[in-house]
Amino acid sequence: MRANMAHELNVRGLPPPEPFEHILRALQTLPADAYLQVHIDREPYPLYDVLRDGGFDWQIIAQSDSSFSIRISRSV
Amino acid sequence: MKIISLNTGQAPPISVPLRFFTAAPLFLLLAALMLMFRADNPFANIHSPALLAATHCITLGFLTMIILGAMQQILPVVIGSPMLASRLTVWLTFLPLLSGALLLPAGFMLGTPELLTLAWPLLGLAFVTFISASLINLVRSPAHNATKTAMLLSILALSGAIALGLVLAHGYATGSLLPYDKLAAAHISLALGGWVMLLIVGVSYQVVPMFQLTPNYPKWLSKGLAPVIFVVLLLSLLSLLLEPRPQWLVNVTQGLFWLLTSCYAVTTLRLQSNRRRRVADATLSFFRLGMMALICAALFALATLFFPDIDHLVTESAVMFILGFAMSLMHGMLYKIVPFLVWFHLFRGGVKSAVPNLKEIIPETWKWRHLWLHRSTLLAALFAPWWNAAAWLVTFCLLLEGMLLGYALLIAIAVYRRTLERIELDTP
Repeated sequence: MRANMAHELNVRGLPPPEPFEHILRALQTLPADAYLQVHIDREPYPLYDVLRDGGFDWQIIAQSDSSFSIRISRSV
Repeated sequence: MKIISLNTGQAPPISVPLRFFTAAPLFLLLAALMLMFRADNPFANIHSPALLAATHCITLGFLTMIILGAMQQILPVVIGSPMLASRLTVWLTFLPLLSGALLLPAGFMLGTPELLTLAWPLLGLAFVTFISASLINLVRSPAHNATKTAMLLSILALSGAIALGLVLAHGYATGSLLPYDKLAAAHISLALGGWVMLLIVGVSYQVVPMFQLTPNYPKWLSKGLAPVIFVVLLLSLLSLLLEPRPQWLVNVTQGLFWLLTSCYAVTTLRLQSNRRRRVADATLSFFRLGMMALICAALFALATLFFPDIDHLVTESAVMFILGFAMSLMHGMLYKIVPFLVWFHLFRGGVKSAVPNLKEIIPETWKWRHLWLHRSTLLAALFAPWWNAAAWLVTFCLLLEGMLLGYALLIAIAVYRRTLERIELDTP
């Protein structure tokens, strides 16, 4: 199935663990055919284990302002 | 914009860092006990066995124990690379470090060479394992940032400090003829100025903006500071090799080192004053106290250049660096990282209502009480070389700090176990 509906989530400027918490809550309600586009200050290395265990794929893009954009979708 | 490769790094089990963290407060108690059983004021004589023993309890048993535990957690989070052979590395560092950090100060205190002979191979094993695992980790990490550079330089400085420390311990144990003063000076420079300072600088680049919501460190500082400090340390080691030692080189390297570290402290204080959320936070206050103590350590050290005959200025500089700067930051970091680890390991399986709020894991009142106690320790330490009653007060405060920190960590572990049981009971 192709993930084609974007849900934006901006967690920049939030202290740990709030970004992690917001992302997990957003993923719980993410429709099967949608993807979550997260904007975050730092690369969230600890999140990747959770995404892999939860059956998600992700792609990270480093932005020019040193923040990151992560696209998360359910594994096909 | 660039696509970054996917990462499969794994955070270690919570028991890994907690094992190191819970052992650390015991060494504060031990340091206090060593300062108690002495004839004269140990702070009045920088070479007194009680002060040497207590210093190693704090640097090896407390600071290094916490740093080694934190590195198991920090490396995967900050540079995205988990510690190599995590379980084996942990056991080959934790047990030898624990036993070595008990035996070495005991050997200094009791003047027993046999204890030193037992201590140095154990410490050698702990550090060779840790240094090898960390270097492999850093080299294979995909990250390219100032934190990684500072960590690499810090580990290199640690390698030198440990090699010299082992030579010194072996020399004391066997009574060998060695240039002890020069070796000790190089050992202290690399251990405190290299290992501790560079690691804290590197980790600050990530931790201060992330947890304290400050702007990032200026690029010129984060890129240049750690390498320049490292070069200055190498120059100061070079001055030790020259005979006679050129005083101008000693003055220049010392002056530069303390100016650079003060620059880091002032920048950090300035960033903290520009933080986005102006909420009172004990961990932030520990951090600020540490930065002010670092500036005090620099002022005392610079004063020794003008008053070289006043030995107490050297003691004050070392006390402000170890107790004031490094220990304040370790307390602040523990009170931030331990609740975070408990929360993270409970939460990572998914959103659960039983997981407590971050601020409920270690009560805020305990953190503030500890901050005030630590401020009292430092205030007493300022007078300790001159006034025996102040030395007793430092000893008593260290004892209380060890008990308070140990209790706070046990509270966090109890919350973790209790919540985990509740989650398991609720899971169908």
